[in-house]
Amino acid sequence: MAEVRPDEVSAILRKQLSGFESEADIYDVGTVLQVGDGIARVYGLSQVMMSELVEFPNDVFGMVLNLDEDSVGCVLFGESRLIKEGDTVKRTKRVASMPVGKEMLGRVITPLGVPIDGKGSITTDKFLPIERKALGVIQRAPVKEPLQTGIVAIDSMIPIGRGQRELIIGDRQTGKTAVAIDAIINQKHTHTEEAKALGINPVFCIYVAVGQKGSTVAQVVAKLEENGAMDYTTVISATATDPAPLQFIAPYSGATLGEYYRDNGKHALVVYDDLSKQAVAYRELSLLLRRPPGREAYPGDVFYLHSRLLERASKLSDDLGGGSLTALPIIETQQGDVSAYIPTNVISITDGQIYLESSLFNAGVRPAINVGISVSRVGGNAQIKAMKKVAGSLKLDLAQYRALEAFAKFGSDLDTHTQKTLAKGARLVELLKQGQYVPVQVEKQVVAIYLGTNGYLDNIDIADVKRYEKEVLEFIEMKYNQVFDAIKKEKQLSDASIELIKKAADEFAVVFK
Amino acid sequence: MSNYKVSIRYSSSLLENAINKKLLEVVTTDVELILQVFNSSKQLVSVMNSPVIKSQLKISIINEIFKNKINDETLNFLKFVVKKGRENFLVDILNKYLDLKDEHLGIINVEVRTAFAFDEDQSKTIKEKLGQKLNKQIRVNYSIDDTIIGGFIAKIGDTVYNASIKHQLELLKKKFLEGGINLN
Repeated sequence: MAEVRPDEVSAILRKQLSGFESEADIYDVGTVLQVGDGIARVYGLSQVMMSELVEFPNDVFGMVLNLDEDSVGCVLFGESRLIKEGDTVKRTKRVASMPVGKEMLGRVITPLGVPIDGKGSITTDKFLPIERKALGVIQRAPVKEPLQTGIVAIDSMIPIGRGQRELIIGDRQTGKTAVAIDAIINQKHTHTEEAKALGINPVFCIYVAVGQKGSTVAQVVAKLEENGAMDYTTVISATATDPAPLQFIAPYSGATLGEYYRDNGKHALVVYDDLSKQAVAYRELSLLLRRPPGREAYPGDVFYLHSRLLERASKLSDDLGGGSLTALPIIETQQGDVSAYIPTNVISITDGQIYLESSLFNAGVRPAINVGISVSRVGGNAQIKAMKKVAGSLKLDLAQYRALEAFAKFGSDLDTHTQKTLAKGARLVELLKQGQYVPVQVEKQVVAIYLGTNGYLDNIDIADVKRYEKEVLEFIEMKYNQVFDAIKKEKQLSDASIELIKKAADEFAVVFK
Repeated sequence: MSNYKVSIRYSSSLLENAINKKLLEVVTTDVELILQVFNSSKQLVSVMNSPVIKSQLKISIINEIFKNKINDETLNFLKFVVKKGRENFLVDILNKYLDLKDEHLGIINVEVRTAFAFDEDQSKTIKEKLGQKLNKQIRVNYSIDDTIIGGFIAKIGDTVYNASIKHQLELLKKKFLEGGINLN
C-alpha cells in the first residue's frame, strides 16, 4: 500500500497556500441604523455611489437607492432578518451588475446572474451594469428587419420588427404569456442552417419572469425545453417569493443581457412578463424608502421606470454592427381597464400594442387578439413584401366584417353582398385561430391568407376551415413546394407564384371533402 | 427638520463665533467639560429633555451649574439653545462641535483596534505611518479587541484599513469557497 506521510501533506498544503497574499485590506464601511421590510438605512458610507452594490453580513447584498444628507437608503437582495441594527456595511465599489455572455444560454438565473437551475456555476468573462443608459439617436437605425412571431394574426396585421417595442396587454387568463412564448419558440427557425442560407440572422431570447409563481416559471422553462427553445434562451426569474428589489431590477438585467447580444452585432428578443408586477414591486420599495406617493400610490418616477427600460430596446446602425434588441413587455389589466395608470404609461412608451380580450378568448378565438384596436407603429416597414401584399386585403375584409358583425343575427334577411362579407369575415377569423406552441412559418402564412382573402374559403364550412388550411398547405408543400421556396427566397409574391397557388387550390378543391 | 440639520447649524455657529473671538481653545475645553457633566448626570439630561419644565427654569439651572466654570460665550450659547427650545439636541450639538473643530484644525480621528495593547514604539510608528499616508495631523484612539486575534484595524472616517489576522482568515476562507486555491 502506498504511504502518504503527514509532513508531505503539510508541504503540499503550504505550497498551495503560498499563492495567498496577506495584505492589509482597505475598504469603506457604514453602520446599519435601521432595518426592516427589505430596506436598510445606513450611517456612513460617505463615498458610496448611487445604485452601488453594498455588502451586508451573512452574504446579503444591497443596492443604494437613496443618498440622504445623513444616511444612505439601501434595498436588500436577501433576507432582512439576517441583518441587525449596528451591523457593518461594506462598499463593493461597483454598481449593481451582472455577468453576461453566451454561457447564459439555456440557463435559469436570478437578476444578479446567479444560476438557479442546478446546472452548476456560470463563468463568463464579462460584467455589465444592470442600469445602463439607452442609446442616442446617432447610434440607431430604423426598424427594417422582421421578427416573425409565428402567430398569423400578429405577423400579418400587427407586424413586429427587430428593435421594436411591442406591448402585449390584456386581462388575466387571456394568453399574454402564450403569445410571448410562441414568439420565442418561433425563433428556433432563425437558428437553422436554412435561415442562415436565406440571410436571416439568429435571434437570442430572454424571458424575464417578474413576480410570478415559481411553478409557472418552471412550466414555462419546461415548455421551452420541450420545444427545443432553451438552446438560445435565458430565463431570468424573480418570483413572487423573491424580495421586491430583485423583482424591480429583473427587467433591467434582462435588458443588459439583451444589450450584450445587440452590441455584438447579434439580435435579441426580450420578454418582460410582466411590467405591472414590476411597477408594484417598485411602488413597494418607494413607499418603504418614504418617497411620496402619487397616482394609485405609485411614485412620481414610475413613468421613468418603464421608459428607461423600454428605450434600451433598439436597432443599431450598420456602423455599430446592426444588432438589435426587441422588447415584448407584458401588462396585465384589471377588467379590461386600459386607462389605468401603468397601462397608459406603457402604451404611450411602446411602438404599438397587442390587445388580448377575455371575451374573444371565451368565444374560442385564440390567440384572443383584438385586431381592430391592436396596432404596430413601425413594424410595417419590416414586413416582407409578400406579406404586405396579402395583409392589406385581410385587414380590409376584417374591418368590413366587424362593421357588419352586429347585423349577423338577422341571417337570411340580409342582402347577398352583406351575407357574403359576413361569411368571408367569419372564415378569416377562423383562419387566424391558432393552437399554442405551433408557430407557422411566414411563407405558409402568406399562402393561407392569400387563399382566405381571395375567396377560396367561401365554400368551405366554418368548422372545416382549419382542416382545409392544414391540408391545403400540406398539399402545396408536397406538390408545389417551389411556391414556398420562392416566397422565402424572393420575399415577395410573384405572379408566377400566384398562378401556382391558384392552380393548386383548384386541384385541391376537387379532392377536399 | 432632522436633528442632524439642527445640530450642525447650531454647532457651526458656535464654532464660527469661537474662531472670530479667538476663543477656540477656551470654548473647546468648556464643551468638553459640559459633555462630561451631561454624561455623568442622567438627571440633568432628563431635565433638559423634559418638555414640562419651563425654559426659564432650565436656564437658571444651567446658570447655577456652569456659572464661573465656563466662559461667558459658552454659557450664553447654552442659554440661547435653551431659549430656542433646542435643548434636547444639546448633546448632539456639542458632539458635532468637537467634530467640526477637528475638521477646522485639520485633525483626523483614527480609531485603532488591536488584539493586545501597543507599546510606545508601536504606537509611535502607526501614528507616523498613518500621518504620512493621510498627510494630515491625526489623533489616535486605541481600543483592545481580542477577537481580531492579531494585527490591527484602523478606522479613519468611513475607511477601514484592515490588517487583522481575523480578516486574513476570513479572506482565506472565502478563497477556498470560491475555489481560487485548490488542493489538487
